[in-house]
Formats: sequence, C-alpha cells, structure tokens
Amino acid sequence: MTRFRRLFSSGGLARLRSEGATAPIVAFATFFALYIAINPEILTRFQLQTASNLVVPLAFAALAQMIVVIVGGIDISIGAIMSLSNVSFALLMVNLSPAIAIPVTLGIGAAAGLFNGFLVAYFRLPAIAVTLASFFIIGALTRELMDRPGGGISYDFFLATSGELIPFVPVSVFWLALFSVALYFLLQRTRFGRHVYAVGSNADGLEAAGVNSKRTILLAFMLSGVTVSIGAIMLAGSTLTGDPRSGDAYLLNSIAAVALAGVAFAGGRGSILGAILAAFTLGLIGNFLYFAGINSSWQYIIAALILLSVVAIPALVSRIQAERRKTK
Amino acid sequence: MNSLRVTISKTPRAAWPFVAFLGLFFIGGLIRPGLMSIESLLGTAAFAMILAVASYGQTVAIVQGGIDLSVANTIAFTALSFLTLTRSLGVGLALLVTLALGAMVGAVNGLIITKLNLTPIVTTIAMNGFLFGIILLLFRSSELATIPEAVSAVTSGRIEFLGTSFPAALLLGLILMVGLQLLISYSGWGRQLIVTGTSAEVARYAGISVDRTRIMGWALTGFLNAIAAIVIVGFYSQASPTMGASYLLGSVAAVVVGGASIFGGSGSFVATVGGAFVLGQVATLVSVANLGSNIQQLIYGVIVLGVVALYGRKKKA
Amino acid sequence: MTTSEKTTGAGKTAPVVPRLIVTDLSKNYGAIHAVKRVSLEAYPGEVVALVGENGAGKSTVSKIIAGAVSRSSGQISVDGEQINPASVGDSRKHGVSCAFQELSLIPGLTVSENLDLVDKSPIGRFSQKSASETARKILEKFDLSHIAPESLVASLSLADRQLIEIVRSLVGNPRLLILDEASSALTPPGVSWLFERIRELTASGGTVIYVSHRMNELAEIADRVIVMRDGEQVGSFTKGSWSVDELVSMMAGRETSSQFPQTTEIKIIGEPVLRVSNLRSDRLYGVDLEIYPGEIVGVGGLAGNGQSELLSALFGAHAARADNWEFAGIKLRRMNPQLAVRLGVGFVPEDRKLQGLALALGVGENLVLPWQKLFGFGGKPVIKKEQGWLNSVISSLSVKTRGVREAAGSLSGGNQQKLVFGRWVDKNRKLLLLHDPTRGVDVGAKQDLYSSILRLSEAGISVLWLSTEVEEIVNVCHRAVVMYEGKIVKTLAGATLTADEVVGAAMGGNND
Repeated sequence: MTRFRRLFSSGGLARLRSEGATAPIVAFATFFALYIAINPEILTRFQLQTASNLVVPLAFAALAQMIVVIVGGIDISIGAIMSLSNVSFALLMVNLSPAIAIPVTLGIGAAAGLFNGFLVAYFRLPAIAVTLASFFIIGALTRELMDRPGGGISYDFFLATSGELIPFVPVSVFWLALFSVALYFLLQRTRFGRHVYAVGSNADGLEAAGVNSKRTILLAFMLSGVTVSIGAIMLAGSTLTGDPRSGDAYLLNSIAAVALAGVAFAGGRGSILGAILAAFTLGLIGNFLYFAGINSSWQYIIAALILLSVVAIPALVSRIQAERRKTK
Repeated sequence: MNSLRVTISKTPRAAWPFVAFLGLFFIGGLIRPGLMSIESLLGTAAFAMILAVASYGQTVAIVQGGIDLSVANTIAFTALSFLTLTRSLGVGLALLVTLALGAMVGAVNGLIITKLNLTPIVTTIAMNGFLFGIILLLFRSSELATIPEAVSAVTSGRIEFLGTSFPAALLLGLILMVGLQLLISYSGWGRQLIVTGTSAEVARYAGISVDRTRIMGWALTGFLNAIAAIVIVGFYSQASPTMGASYLLGSVAAVVVGGASIFGGSGSFVATVGGAFVLGQVATLVSVANLGSNIQQLIYGVIVLGVVALYGRKKKA
Repeated sequence: MTTSEKTTGAGKTAPVVPRLIVTDLSKNYGAIHAVKRVSLEAYPGEVVALVGENGAGKSTVSKIIAGAVSRSSGQISVDGEQINPASVGDSRKHGVSCAFQELSLIPGLTVSENLDLVDKSPIGRFSQKSASETARKILEKFDLSHIAPESLVASLSLADRQLIEIVRSLVGNPRLLILDEASSALTPPGVSWLFERIRELTASGGTVIYVSHRMNELAEIADRVIVMRDGEQVGSFTKGSWSVDELVSMMAGRETSSQFPQTTEIKIIGEPVLRVSNLRSDRLYGVDLEIYPGEIVGVGGLAGNGQSELLSALFGAHAARADNWEFAGIKLRRMNPQLAVRLGVGFVPEDRKLQGLALALGVGENLVLPWQKLFGFGGKPVIKKEQGWLNSVISSLSVKTRGVREAAGSLSGGNQQKLVFGRWVDKNRKLLLLHDPTRGVDVGAKQDLYSSILRLSEAGISVLWLSTEVEEIVNVCHRAVVMYEGKIVKTLAGATLTADEVVGAAMGGNND
C-alpha cells in the first residue's frame, strides 16, 4: 500500500509528467468517457472481458517496443517475435503442460531479443536495420514452424489467461497489471533500470561512468523479447490458437502506441502507464465505433487522427509559446 | 594484387549489388544450366524491376534521412483511385490526377514532418493507417477488374530484344532510374537533399532551406509511389486494398541492400535497382531450387544483415 | 620499478615510487598517429599539467589512461601494477578516474541519479530518495550545496554541469585523477573551487593530471608541466622554471612573438552594414548592435551566455525577433538562412565536422553548397563552372588537399576549417559571422585564417567574431562586445580593449 501511496505522491506524478504521460492519460480518460457514454454496457462482465482480451496483447507489445525505444532504438521485428512466440507456444501446448510451455516460450522471446540486442550492442549496427533483417528471418522461422493456424490451447488455459479473476475484473488485466508493476519496479527502482534510461540518453556518458552500456542494451532487448512473448501467450490464450500471422498488425500498432504515449524516439524517456493507456485507446477504437454504429473502417482514420493530434499538440503548444516569448 | 585493390576501391558503391546479382546468376547457372539464358535473366530482371520501382519513393525518403512506412497504402490508394477514375475521366486525365494525389499524400507527410516536427516513422505510420481507412470506405474492389489497355501495354507489353522479349516495365523502370539518378546527382535540389540527409544542421548553416527541400522530397516520394502503383496494376493486372503490403518493408530492404545508409545522406537509384535485382535473383534461385518462400525470406534477412554489417556501422564520434 | 629523489610540494625530500608510469604510449587511428611514443611519470602528491595545442594528443593520452580509448602500443602502470583498462569502469577499479572534456553526464537523469551511477553494479535496488540523500551529502562535502540533487542535468547551466562532472570523478577517492579541460566552462570562483579540490586530493597523497591549454592556470596549480605537440612529448618543466612565452613557442613549434597579425586602425565611414535593436529570442534578452563596413567586431563572454544564439539569430538559423533589423539599409522582419545568404551574410559554425561540412562529400561540393540554385544544376556541373573560384579559394587559404574531388572528411582539422571559411570568400559577402573559427586548428592554419580575415576587413567586409580565446579578441578585433545572460553588457575598443576588461565584463560587469 505504501508503494502505491509513493507512486501517487508528488514525486511520482511529476515523474509521470516528465516522462510525457499526460497526453495518453488524458486521451484515454476522454476516450473511455465517450465510450461509456456510447455504450454503457461496456461495464458488464462479458464486455469488459472481451474488451480487455482484445487490448492486453497490444499493451504488452507496446511495452516491449517502448523498452527498445528507451534505449535509443526501434524494433521492426516485434510483430515477428510475437508471431513466433505465439506459434511456438501453441505447438508446445499440444503435448506439454503450461508449466513447461510458458518458460520455453519466454525463452524463445528472450532468444530473439538476444539476437537483435547482440548485433545492436556489440556490432554497433543500427537497430532499425538489424530488426528489419530479423523481421525477415524470424518471420521465415515462424512460418516454417506453422503455416496455418492451429496448436493445442485448451479451454482451461483460456480461462486462466482470458477469463475473469473476480466478477468485473478480467484475468488478462490482472496479468498485465502484475507484469507492469514488476516492470515498473525493474525500470524505476533498480540500478539496471536507471542504466536503461541512461543508455538511451547518452550511451558514451554511461561508459564514462564506468557502466557497461553494451550489456545494458543487450539485456534491454532481451527484456523486450520476453515482454512480447508474454503478450503472445495472452493472445494465444484468448484466441485458443496459434497463428503465424497473429503478430503482423502489432508492428505498426506498437509503434503508434509508443508514439501516442509520448515516448521520445530519441531515447531516454518513457512511461509504462502511458504506453498501456495508449495501447488501450488505440485498441478499443474499432470496438467503440461498432457500438456507435459507425462503419468500422473509420477506426483506421480515427486512430491516425488521434495519433497525429496527440503528438502534434505539444509541438504546436511549444511553438506558440516560443512565438509569444519572442513578441514580449 | 595492388591493382585489384585499387580497382575495388575505385568501383562506385552502387555497382556492387549488380556484381552480386551477376554472381548469383552464375551460381544459378551452376545449379541448373537451363537458367543461364537471356530469357531467365530478363524474367528475373523484370520481376525485380517492379520492386525497384516501388522502392524509388523509399529511396528519396531514406536519402533525406527519413523512412516511408506509408508506401503500402499509398500504392493501394493511388492504384484504386486510378482504376476508379479511368471510368469517368479516361486514362490520360486519370493518370494525371492519380500522380497528383500521390504527390499530395507525400506533401502532407512532408508538411507534418517539417512543420509539426514529428518523426517520419510516426507520421508515415499514421498516414498509412489513415489511407487504409480511406481505401476501405471509398472503394469496392469487386468493381475494379478492368485494367486500361494503355497501362497494360506500357507495363506488361513485351518488347523484342535479342531474339527474345521482355516486359516493357523493365525498360520503363530503367528510364525512371536514369532520370531520377540524374536528378539527384546533378540538380541543385538533389544535392541539397543529400546534404540535408547527412545533417540538417550542415545544410541550414550553408544557407539551404531544409524545410522546403524536405517537403519537395516527400512530395516526390508520394509521386513515385503513385507511379509504382500504376506499374504494379499494369504488370499484375490486379488491384486490392492490400496490394502494397509486401512493398512496405520490401522497399526498405531493396534500398538497404543497395548500400544506402539507413540514416540518410547516401544512396542512389542505381543502387536501389541493384538491391532489388539481388533480392529478385534470390527469389528466382529459391523457387528454382524449390526451397520455399520461407527460405527466401530467411535469405533476405541475412543479406540485409550482411550489407548493413559492411556499410552500416555506427561511427564513433 | 624506478624510484627517484624528488622534492614534493611540501618541500620534503624522500624516495618515492611513481604513481603513474607511462612508457612508449602510442595511438594510431588508421594512418593518423595521434600519440607517438609518449613516456611520462607522475608522483603521489603531484599535479602534472599536460599542455599543448588542440590536436596535440594530450586529450587522447588522458583518455587512454582513463580507459575510454584503447592504446595501440605501450605500457601503463599505476602504483607499480601494469594496467590495460578495457573500459572506464576498469580504470576506476584501479583508482584512476577522469573528468572528461565532453561531459559524460546523462542529461535525461537527475544529478543524484548521475552520481549514483558510478562504480555500482546494475544489480541492486535504487530509490530516488536514498540517491538524493547520498547526493546531497556528497554535494555538501564538496561545498556545492547550491545544486539541487533532484534537478535534471539537462536543466543545469554548463558551468554547473562541469562541476558535477568533476564531483563524479572525485567520488570514490581516486589515487590518480585526470582532469581534461575541466575548467573550460567554469567561472573564476568555480576555478578556485576546483583548485581547492585538487589541493585536498594531493595533500592526501593523490596525483592529478591536469590537461589544459590555459596558461594562466598552470602557474597556480601545476608542479610540473609537460608539453605535447603533434602527438609527441616535446618538453618538460618543473615549477618556476618556465615562462608563458617559452611554453607557447614549444606548443607551436616556432617563434610566436608575433602570434597575432597587426590590425590597422579602421575608419568608420558610411552606414552600418548591420543594425539591430532589441534582438530577442529564447536565449537573447534584448541585444542592440551596429556593425560598420570593414569592422572586425569580437564577441566575448563565458560559454552559454547567448553568444552562439546571437550569431545563429543573425544568420536566421535561430528564430528571433527585433524591434528594428536592418541589413545594408534593407529593413527586415525576420531572417532565415536563404535570405541571409542572399543579402550577403556568411556563417562559419562552431563545429566544422557536425555543423560545417558534409564529410562524405567532396571538397568542391562542400564549397559550392550555398551557391547551387534549388531549381538549377548541382554537383559536378556546378563544380566545373566554378573551377576558377574553387582554385582561387584553395590557393588563397592554402588548403592542403588533393583536389576538389577529395572527400572533405579526409582533410586535417585545420584544412577542414579553411573549407568552411572559404565557402564565403569572394562571393560578395558583406558580413561574415564566425563562431570560434580557429578552435582546434594548428598554428599554421590559424595564421592563414587570421590573414584571410584581415584581407576581408581591408576589402570592406565586416566580421562578427565569436571567440573563446580572449587573446584573439583583444589582438585582432577592432571592437569587442561582451555578452552576459543574453545581453551585451560592455563594448570595448581601443585602449579599453584588454584581456582584463573582457574577462571582467564576462563575469557580469557593469553596463555601459
């Protein structure tokens, strides 16, 4: 409880603001208010469950992308890692229990992250180029493993990942919350987490402070890979299948969510809460339109406009401020 | 041996993908002698040229230090618009309007990037999504089956050459390549674009209008994407909302394999064609050896990695 | 192990083991020999100054000892133990720490987070509160309580950032402390503070290597001075046995009695080429300036007080407004770089590699950069057309290059600087804005640049010259304006244009 209180103390709120989280928080609050207005039934158990199962995998993907962006890179292969983990998990679950399938899948996510991170950190290749290559390579691997949807996810597993924890609280949100708290602890309350933010801000400076920046980058990529694979497991659970194309949409959507969350693409900044709320907003637009009776094709347009306006408004505001200062 | 080293260092970087292409071609010939024919060479070249044309816009975007992740739906949007407009406006006018649409899409990207200071990645992703929504709302693909004669002729019509024939698209792509290369190498704007891609600050302090150069570059990117759309429509005789999907990262791959720096400041249209040729020849080899499309993708990834490792290391300040 | 009789600072004589022995240290970057077989020793309780021009290799030597740069050959031993640091962390474990010239702080983190980063493994809990407490104590111990530990480094002034950089190198009680141009951004009270810390360290037996090119500081703080030039050690002096002139000559490698060219008196005739009143932007708070044809006006002041913004604003690269802005009689409402070039302004930015040149492009292409029309030709055709001009620029500035096709990146620093400068020569300029044009440039190239600037002035072209070397302003400029906190606080000319006046005004001296 004290940790919660500390989170909402002035220090915590100030940090949220400095990490740029104001925008996604406001965006989501507004959006959700509108959503409830259009469709009060969202607050029923069934709809809460469906909605959260829909957006939780994107939230994981957004967090994974955020970690890579914080260390100064970008991950083009994130969708491919999602598909690979999704497919691997589904295959493993045919014959093995979750107790084995889950750790192995997380290991696969970590291995993908290791591949990317090693090339970026130790060969000093640009992240965008490395992950472009791994997009192809991991994609090929995924389709070799499984070329059409299938796998062995059981209904019990569905309940465990995508059911209800207690009435009105979907299990998927619970797992997301648990993971986010752990990630928050890792990024804000351990020295490693400080290194992750530092390396995105000034990697040479970090070396000069005596810290191994290469190892930090490598571990950040591995952490990102593990995060994606958790999302993939959640996705497999909620859809009851493994699908080699399941991760495709998550590439662009994760980047959009990270942008909406106000994460600086130059590195060094990013708020977990912001990323999650941004993912929730983007993920629910289609749903929202359905209940509002609007052609769901509008969701792409609206998502783009939300993204542009939320990211552009701070830029415009600072421009107006600068103009005003000059004419004083 | 020294003269060999000198020759290697004097070869322009853009030539290397073609060397690799020829190398792969000969390897193909070793695996299956039937492949060592002009027909097969031209066939691969034509197919690769489509990817190259779809990568011209991306080339401009990357050379100026950005990246275009709206290629996919700009192609789809302009292609579908073109087919819709030919019915009411006729081919010629429809063509002009389509190209203008493409340029407009690009210009909007450019305006957002320069005036609102948004990164190209975010801007073009947003535009990509936006266009996808527009496509779904505006077009019903069932009605768009007829491809105008003129377009088919200019792209998939065959031209006689050395006892065999090749699709006109190959020649079209080559002409475009030459024209664009001249533009970027010998025009004031082209050189300014290259410097802007190297460093916007350097350009600014040399009196170059960075914003104007950039916006023009993005408009050109959109324009070239529209051209690519029409070429694809003519060559494959079809159009659909997802027709551009494979060109999103495929165009980036072609530009990177051609040796351009992903950060900007270097790259050429000749090199992009070379990159597309390498990827195209890989596809041919893989299909001939019956290895499956997964192996092809795997090799694509390895090649991108290899080229980046050769040319793309981040330099320590 | 060598021992020697040595007089320590306290005047006692005792056999001492050297703290640091460097033997035949070399560093090559491809064909460039940055450091050539340098050998030196430093003893406990000693302050050894390493001096030399920019590019002499002194910074490279210190970075190698500090572990930031790998050596090509040679040996380093600390307290008798041979070390081969693969990283700064390695060096720190051996008791060697360094305050780097390019500050190694993380701008996105707070002061307490930056101080907490050092010497700790990534595994371990981190709490903002306890890091703040520890930082507060450290700052108090080092007499820097005016800096709030919770503030983001990015929000601190350049001087405060340098102070934190120095504090970070002091934390952990190093046996060997290397200070690389550590006083470059400090105010005089800051420099005194630094010297106190150095004395504290040496009093407890530590050794300090003080890399600098500021002659006046050496007399106060250094026990010994080692001079480097072109990567080699060329001389060594003990306290009291050197003179500034000797040092400078040795650094330059030739007689420097006439280091600066003679400026002729200037007659102010006609209308000013530039007149601006109440120029303001986010770092400028009302600058009034008039520059007349042929005048060389220096801009002085401590780094970060608006001088670079002034130059950028006058070129239009930094958004600014003014109540009145006239250039060559033309009234302006705002400025941008294309307009500036069209009107007759030229600009030589601070960093030739990152702001001045496209290193991958050729010499010719870099020179013609401002002169290509957007809708005209560019590249080779323009270079061919401008052949005459290009050749005249290269010869009048004595640029050492293999030709217009040579990549700008392969020229030496001095020649690169000449390129950025040469861009504007003989192109009908009325005003040239120069931002530290001779920084990091060898003495020969400096002389070439000085003569060029004088030639410009004699031809009636005005020069606004921002320089961090007070001597340049005092000796070559007709007039100088000193900036402090975004405003011009003093204008000096003639008899009042002295080093003391410039430095005094830079510290916030009284307005005219």
